[in-house]
Amino acid sequence: MNPLRLFAVIQRIVAQLRRDPRTLALLFIAPLAIIGLLGWVLSSSGTATSRVAIVDDSGSSVGASIAVKLTDALKGQPQIAVQADVHDAATARQMLIDKKLDLVISIPKDFSLQNRKIELETLGLNPTGEAMAVPAIQQALIKVVVDQAGGVIPAIERTSVYGSPNATQLDTLAPVVVGFFVYFFVFILTGISFLRERMGGTLERLMATPVSRSEIVLGYSIGFGIFATLQIAVVLAFVLGRLDIPALGPLPAFAIGLGVKTVGNPLVAYLLVLVLGLGAVSLGIFISTFARSEFQILQFIPIVIVPQGLLGGFFWPIDQLPNLLQPIARILPVTYAIDGLRQVMIAGADLTSGQVLMDLGVLAAIAAIFVVLAAATIRREIA
Amino acid sequence: MTVTSTQSPGAPAPNAAATPAVQAVGLQKSFGQIRAVNGVDMSLPAGRIYGLLGPNGSGKTTLIRLLTGLASATSGSVKVLGVEMPSRTNLARIGYMTQADGIYPELSVWENLRFFAALYGQTDRTAMVRTLELVELDGRLDTPAQNLSGGMRRRLSMACALSHKPAVIFLDEPTVGVDPALRVQFWAHFRQLAADGATLLVSSHVMDEADRCDELLFIRDGRVLAQGTSAELRKRAGTTDIETAFLHFAAEPAAAASASTAPDAASSKETAR
Repeated sequence: MNPLRLFAVIQRIVAQLRRDPRTLALLFIAPLAIIGLLGWVLSSSGTATSRVAIVDDSGSSVGASIAVKLTDALKGQPQIAVQADVHDAATARQMLIDKKLDLVISIPKDFSLQNRKIELETLGLNPTGEAMAVPAIQQALIKVVVDQAGGVIPAIERTSVYGSPNATQLDTLAPVVVGFFVYFFVFILTGISFLRERMGGTLERLMATPVSRSEIVLGYSIGFGIFATLQIAVVLAFVLGRLDIPALGPLPAFAIGLGVKTVGNPLVAYLLVLVLGLGAVSLGIFISTFARSEFQILQFIPIVIVPQGLLGGFFWPIDQLPNLLQPIARILPVTYAIDGLRQVMIAGADLTSGQVLMDLGVLAAIAAIFVVLAAATIRREIA
Repeated sequence: MTVTSTQSPGAPAPNAAATPAVQAVGLQKSFGQIRAVNGVDMSLPAGRIYGLLGPNGSGKTTLIRLLTGLASATSGSVKVLGVEMPSRTNLARIGYMTQADGIYPELSVWENLRFFAALYGQTDRTAMVRTLELVELDGRLDTPAQNLSGGMRRRLSMACALSHKPAVIFLDEPTVGVDPALRVQFWAHFRQLAADGATLLVSSHVMDEADRCDELLFIRDGRVLAQGTSAELRKRAGTTDIETAFLHFAAEPAAAASASTAPDAASSKETAR
C-alpha cells in the first residue's frame, strides 16, 4: 500500500464530487426531502379525520339508544366526524361510493340484545387507508353496547362495498403495483435511450435529416409503446394468473403468478396502464434533456418516481394527505392510474364508469402535455 | 502532393452567374460572451471541394452547424442551394457527416444505413448497396456497428451521410482517427462526388489535407482569415508551406485579414478558370 497513490485516489474522488453539485444534492438534499415528505404524510395521515355515519335499521329502542350513545361517544374522538344527517342505509352506501363518507356503522334490522351484530362498512378500494378509524370505533362500540346490554360484547362485522375487507394486502396492492412499476421502467428505459441519442451524436444526425420532431416523439412513443404493451401484458398475466406446478420428485409444489382476483375487465386495466406508459415515454424524453449521463437519469428517480409512490395513493388515500400535498397528488399521473386500476380491478368498473373515463382522460391529457414538452426539447439547435 | 495536382482535380469551372451552393452573409453565433462565429461571409460555387482549415476550437463545427441550420445564427443569414436555412425540406438535399460517428451501435451496418436513408426519403436498395460498396462495407452488411473497427465506423458514418446523393455535403473532420491508406480512399471518394456535381465542405485541422481541396478557407477565432487555392495562399504568404501560410494570415491584424479576404475569393475564381 503506497500512501501517495492511496491519497491520490481519495483526493481525486473528493475533487470530482465537489465539482458535481447534482450528485452532492442527491447525497444530502434528496434523502432529507424524501424522509421529510414521508414524515409529513405519515404524521398527517395518522391525524386525518374519518367521516362516519351511523345508520340504525333495527327499529328497536335498543338500537336507537345505541345509535344515540355511540354518536355521543364518537363526538369526543378527535379524528372522527360523525355525519349526523345520514339516517338510511341506501344514502350512506351511495355516500361511501361517492367518497363523501369513509365508514358507515349500521345496526341491522334483526339487531337485538341476543343477536348483537353490528356492521362497519367501508368502500374497499384501499382497505389499509380506510381502516384507520376502525380501532377507535370498535372501542367506542364495545363500551356503548356493553353499558347498554349489561356486560355482553357486540359482534362487529367488517364489510366493504367493493372487494372483501378480508382481502389480502396482495389483492389490494396488486393494481397499484402494476401501474407503478410499468411507469417506473418505461420512464427509465426511454430516458436512458433518448439520452444516448443526445449524447451519442445520433440526435444531431437525426436533426440534419428532414425528420420532424413530432415524427421522432411519435415514433418513440409507438416503438416503446410496443414493448410497454408486451411488458404490461406479461405483468398483468403474472399478477392475475396463477399456474400451480405440482410437486415433482424432490421439488416441492409451487405456483407461477400471484393469482390476484380481479372483478373487472383486464383489458380496461390494460388500457389504463398503456396510457400511463405512453406518458412515461414522453416524460423520459423530456427528462433526458436535463441529464448528461445515465447516472444523472437515475438521479431523477427521487424527484420523479418517489413522490408519486408516496403521494399517488399507493399507501394513503389522497383525502388523508396533508392539505398542501393534496393538490400535488392530484396532478401526478400515477394517482389517476392507481385510482382507475382500483376501480377496475377491485370495484369491477368498466368503460361505462365516469370515474374510469375521467382517470383515462386525465392520463391522456398528462401524456399529451409531456408529448408537447418532449417535442419542445428536441430542437434543431441542440448544442 | 504538388501544387499542380491541387489545381488539377478537374473541378468544373464555377459559373459565376449560377446560384452558389453555399452562401453566408454576416454570419455570427455567440455563446454568452464568446463569439464562436464572428462575421463570416462566404459564397461557394457548386461542384468543388472546399477545405475549412483551422485549429481546434476555431469555430469550424459551429460554422458547419450554422450552415446546415442545426444552430440558429445570432445574426446573419445562410442559403444552401438558394434556399434560406434552416429549412427542413432542404435538408433532403444536404449530407452531414458529424464529428462523432453518430451511428447506432446495436444496429447492423445495413440497418444503420437503411434508417438514415429512410429519413432522407431514399428507399432505393441498389443506391444504398452502391454507397456501401464505395466505403467498402458491402461485405459487412450484418455486422453490428459496435463490432466494427474505428475506421469502419467512420466509413459507415460517411455512408449514412451520402446514400441519398446529396448535392451539398458537409463533412466535419471526416478523416480524424482514420489511417493514411483509408484517408487516401476517402479523398478519392470526395473527388468523385465533386466530379459528379456535388459541393463538399470538409473541415480539418490537419494542414496536409489542404492540397486535396479545390479551395481553402482558413478559419480562426470564428473568422475566415483568408480564402483561395492552396497555391495562392502560399504565394500570398510568401511561403511554400501551408502551415506557415496559415500562421502568416493568423498573425495579420483582423481588419487587414478580413479586408483581404474578399479579393482573394475573387482571385481564386480567376485562377480556377
